[in-house]
Amino acid sequence: MKQEKYPTNVSLIKYFLRGSIRYFIIAIIFAMFVSLFELVSPKIIGFMVDSILGNEKVNAPFYIQFVLNRIGGVEALKQNLLLLAGIVVFVYMLSAASRYIFRISNVKGAETLVQTMRDDLFDHILHLPFSWHSENHTGDIIQRCTSDVEQIKVFLSEQLTMLFRVVVLIVLALIFMAQVSLKLTLVAIIFIPMIIGYSYFFHHRIGSQFEKVDIEEGNLSAIAQENLTGVRVVRAFGREAYEKERFEQQNKYYTNMWVRLLNLLAAFWSTSDIFSQLQILSVMTFGAVLCVNGEITAGNYIAFVYYNALLKWPIRMIGRVIANMSKAGISIERLRYIMNSEEEKDAPDAMEPKMDEDIIFDHVSFTYENGNTEILKDINLKIEKGKTVGILGATGSGKSTLMYLLDRLYDIPENSGKITIGGIDIKKIKRSWLRENIGMVLQEPYLFSRSLEENIRIANSSASQFDVKDVARIAALDETISHFKQGYDTFVGERGVTLSGGQKQRAAIAQMLIKKPPIMVFDDSLSAVDSETDAKIRRALKEKLEDSTVILIAHRITTIMHADVIVVMDKGKIIELGSHDELIKKKGIYCQIHDLQLEQGLLDGEVEYARA
Amino acid sequence: MQEPKQVRLPYFGFPKIYPYVKKYRKRLFGMITFGVIVSILDALFPLFNRYALDHYVQEKTLDTLPIFVGLYLAMVIVKAILDYVGLCWGGQLEMNVNHDLREASFNHLQTLSFSYFNQNNVGYIHARVMSDTGKIGELVAWRLMDMVWEGSYVIVVLITMLSIHLQLALFVIVLVPIAILIISFFEKKLITANRKIREINSKITSNFNEGITGARSIKTLVIENKIFSDFKKDSGFMKHTSIRAGHYSAMFSGLIVMMSAFALAIVLWQGGILTQRQVIQIGTLSVFMSYALNLMDPIQFLIETIAGLIGIQVNIERFTKLMNTESDVADSKEVIEKYGDTFNPKKENWEELYGDVEFKDVSFHYPDGDEMVLEHFDLKVPKGTNVAIVGETGAGKSTLVNLVCRFFEPTSGQVLIDGKDARERSQLWLHSNIGYVLQTPHLFSGTVRDNLRYGKPDATDEEILKALDLVSATFVLEKMDKGLDSEVGEGGDLLSTGEKQLLSFARAILADPKILVLDEATASIDTLTEKAIQDAIQTVIQGRTSFIIAHRLSTIVNADVILVVSDGKIIERGTHKELMRKRGAYYDLYTRQYEEMVVNEVIA
Repeated sequence: MKQEKYPTNVSLIKYFLRGSIRYFIIAIIFAMFVSLFELVSPKIIGFMVDSILGNEKVNAPFYIQFVLNRIGGVEALKQNLLLLAGIVVFVYMLSAASRYIFRISNVKGAETLVQTMRDDLFDHILHLPFSWHSENHTGDIIQRCTSDVEQIKVFLSEQLTMLFRVVVLIVLALIFMAQVSLKLTLVAIIFIPMIIGYSYFFHHRIGSQFEKVDIEEGNLSAIAQENLTGVRVVRAFGREAYEKERFEQQNKYYTNMWVRLLNLLAAFWSTSDIFSQLQILSVMTFGAVLCVNGEITAGNYIAFVYYNALLKWPIRMIGRVIANMSKAGISIERLRYIMNSEEEKDAPDAMEPKMDEDIIFDHVSFTYENGNTEILKDINLKIEKGKTVGILGATGSGKSTLMYLLDRLYDIPENSGKITIGGIDIKKIKRSWLRENIGMVLQEPYLFSRSLEENIRIANSSASQFDVKDVARIAALDETISHFKQGYDTFVGERGVTLSGGQKQRAAIAQMLIKKPPIMVFDDSLSAVDSETDAKIRRALKEKLEDSTVILIAHRITTIMHADVIVVMDKGKIIELGSHDELIKKKGIYCQIHDLQLEQGLLDGEVEYARA
Repeated sequence: MQEPKQVRLPYFGFPKIYPYVKKYRKRLFGMITFGVIVSILDALFPLFNRYALDHYVQEKTLDTLPIFVGLYLAMVIVKAILDYVGLCWGGQLEMNVNHDLREASFNHLQTLSFSYFNQNNVGYIHARVMSDTGKIGELVAWRLMDMVWEGSYVIVVLITMLSIHLQLALFVIVLVPIAILIISFFEKKLITANRKIREINSKITSNFNEGITGARSIKTLVIENKIFSDFKKDSGFMKHTSIRAGHYSAMFSGLIVMMSAFALAIVLWQGGILTQRQVIQIGTLSVFMSYALNLMDPIQFLIETIAGLIGIQVNIERFTKLMNTESDVADSKEVIEKYGDTFNPKKENWEELYGDVEFKDVSFHYPDGDEMVLEHFDLKVPKGTNVAIVGETGAGKSTLVNLVCRFFEPTSGQVLIDGKDARERSQLWLHSNIGYVLQTPHLFSGTVRDNLRYGKPDATDEEILKALDLVSATFVLEKMDKGLDSEVGEGGDLLSTGEKQLLSFARAILADPKILVLDEATASIDTLTEKAIQDAIQTVIQGRTSFIIAHRLSTIVNADVILVVSDGKIIERGTHKELMRKRGAYYDLYTRQYEEMVVNEVIA
């Protein structure tokens, strides 16, 4: 097993935090200021009650005394309460400013973090080998890239900074409280671990109940989904009543799960409120006793009660944050799986050689990683530069796989032969160079959610309008486009106009041609167009790109019969090889297919054939 | 998906959903009453502090302490109990309303015609059933509750302040309308920004989707960098927009603090003067201070709640729209009377279906389009006839099938079943006699047995095994470790497409329908399964009136009538031989299929 790039959750988080950590640090610093200012105002209130409304001696640090003396001492404030109010507003202004800076830094941190995560994930996924893509479910990966990213963001930016803030607030509040009265602080402290523990315990339980509810929601959602996607089946079998009952049952079950969860929440809410209220009551009565005994002043009492009230929410929060920590951990774990998957990498000395050369398949064998049948068995084939090669074979004979190996969508394992271009092993060629020079039109073409024009020029953004139209003409797509209301601006792909199979194939051909690659592969990419268009496209190709090496995979004899070399494949082996004339003379399989498709004609033969 | 525009309904749309709440109105009113009491208690707690200050601290006595503690404790306990009961009721209310709304919408969907399902994609409809209902339930239970809580808290606080000291109270109250104005301004900004964020978010998700499903093309075209830089544009825009929204909410929270500060400053200043003049005691001052500090948050919540109510109207609107959608295809009153409706069939009155189908002068256009796809179409399909419908993807091959199944009704003309207009008997009667095999075979999560019994709930295991054998699908069963009890996974995901196809043939055979509709798959399937499927098709259509949307040559060539569809219209019809001789569209289509088949057959 290779060393993982991110062996722990912390290492991955550190990596993701690289651009945003400074915002979070600023946020945390200002969060502390927020807490600090929140604690100053009870001080002022206490001071006012004792020294301005009452007659206690001012008991404050020297710098406060200094400021106080400069503005004329306590007496001046007594005369001018507006000034005192002004001071309060000023302190709160600082508090509001800190709060603003805290929140905006936090948001900047959170959004930068999310952007970094998304970009990193997307970039990484784009560069993962194709085998990875076929092994993993799209839905699962998308979920990781969206909800798990969100989960981590919420945890880091909201819950973790809140935790910092809350801890600072609690510590500072306790220090301030201890200065007022140690005894009373002890009374207040006793309750804190109780409330935190209780809250943790409950949130833990609520969390697991939440998971259950989630699962049941998934089940209910799936029933609705299945019913809707299968609406034809439901109707055609007349099973509406059954579906109704099925949904009803799960609906009821799910509802009950929720009610149970909400009852649990209600219980937590009301009981934990009792705890908080008991704490307040204890502080209040005990404080009153201390006051009556003359141990603390009225102002101190008020300040203390304020501090205590400030603690009510933060303490309840801590338990919740701790309970959520495990959730975030799971999300990071899920992203780590993606980020630890290995990207396609070129050898350090990878080359960019001349690609307009002979291609040689040299004893190539191949088996897919999760399959057990050998797809290609000892393939030897030389494709001379500038020549056209036709490959004919049954479904599953390994034609496409051969091309995937040439384009290095999959790599040939050690000791299973090699493919060379101009004598250079393709493993020594830069992947991007290799693929740029091999234009591949896939069997199942994929169009991107963009306009037709953007789709055609996607591999060559510097292509001119003229180039776009030119390749569209070669691919016999221009006429189709002229039928669209919006012409080249017609939006295609997932959310656009649905194209027919033949139109998609032709668009994919244009997509490939725009690069004008020296090697072109057509993987069964003329199957959905009629023979006439097929011939038209091939004629245009020949005229425009006569120097290119062309590999044509097809089932249609007319498509490949004019190729310089024709290869017939069966079950991973080459069974016939030669020019059309040679193969016809040989009277082998090629000849048989040829006869069936052309000579005997389609009118009579196939009827008997199909009935046989 | 585009965010719907804001909708305004009278009374926040509440009257529209009241019918669903009526059942639980006792609980709702109980909850509201309890909520009001809890709010009042909450607003009164600071008075304890006032008493403690004025009485114990100022007068240096502890004479009433036991009563004080006792009363406090009593209030705490009463509040906890009310809280608990109120929250439980709220939860029950929310969940029960959700439940009823989901059920109502789901059941309504079962009766809607296909035009609805064609015009709205599954994701959209699914969201109506699952998420709109949830939001509405939340509105009924919690949003209203929040309004009551925050509203009554604010009112009680204001009243208490006014009754303790009118002048001081008025000073504080002056700030309230200013606060409301500021908060509403920011709330509006935030809502707009959040809507935008959701839009970009869905774009980013579809980018991920494209990056993953299009991986092969991205690699062969070497456009990783292009795709990535486009992605970065979106994710950068997302960041920018989110930060702007964050900016508003940060300003917002700072302003709330400032509003509280002003309230406090006023109390300190004016209240201080009053205290100096001994008009009020310190306890009263302290109570005012705590009210001043705690007044702004509930006001903010209140405004947020109102904004939420405005937002939910979209959901209510969509929900009621769904419930008001009527089926294009509905049985007449007389038919329901005789044959029963979707959920309560009267099977005793059902006639046997023989199997003759006839299109008589049928013209048809889809409800969402105005182009006629069939014009004065006549076709007699006597019992046992096989009709093959061929054409390119997206050419509109399902139209005829939709009419036979009465998923749609002809715009003019008639579809006759056994010589009688299809509309003269109930949909359920027809559907119970039709077998349907889909192109993308649809299985339901559950066991193999559950799935096969779908069309015949009382089928015995013997019958099931026999059906499987008939379509040579026994090997599928042998592969699975629990036989008929094996789970097929969601949508049958644990099976391959070919295997799903075979099981759906078996399902259709078990139902023993007189009319069979078959939509063949185009997906490439391994040779062994392909052979089994070809045989299965020939077995199932034997002796049944069948309509096949066909791709396989064997099916097409053997059909009694072939209809060729292009651009939604039937352009050729006849037998295979007739059509080949014509050398038209069918000839082209056939040749292409044939070539691949020849290669596969000769080499294998």
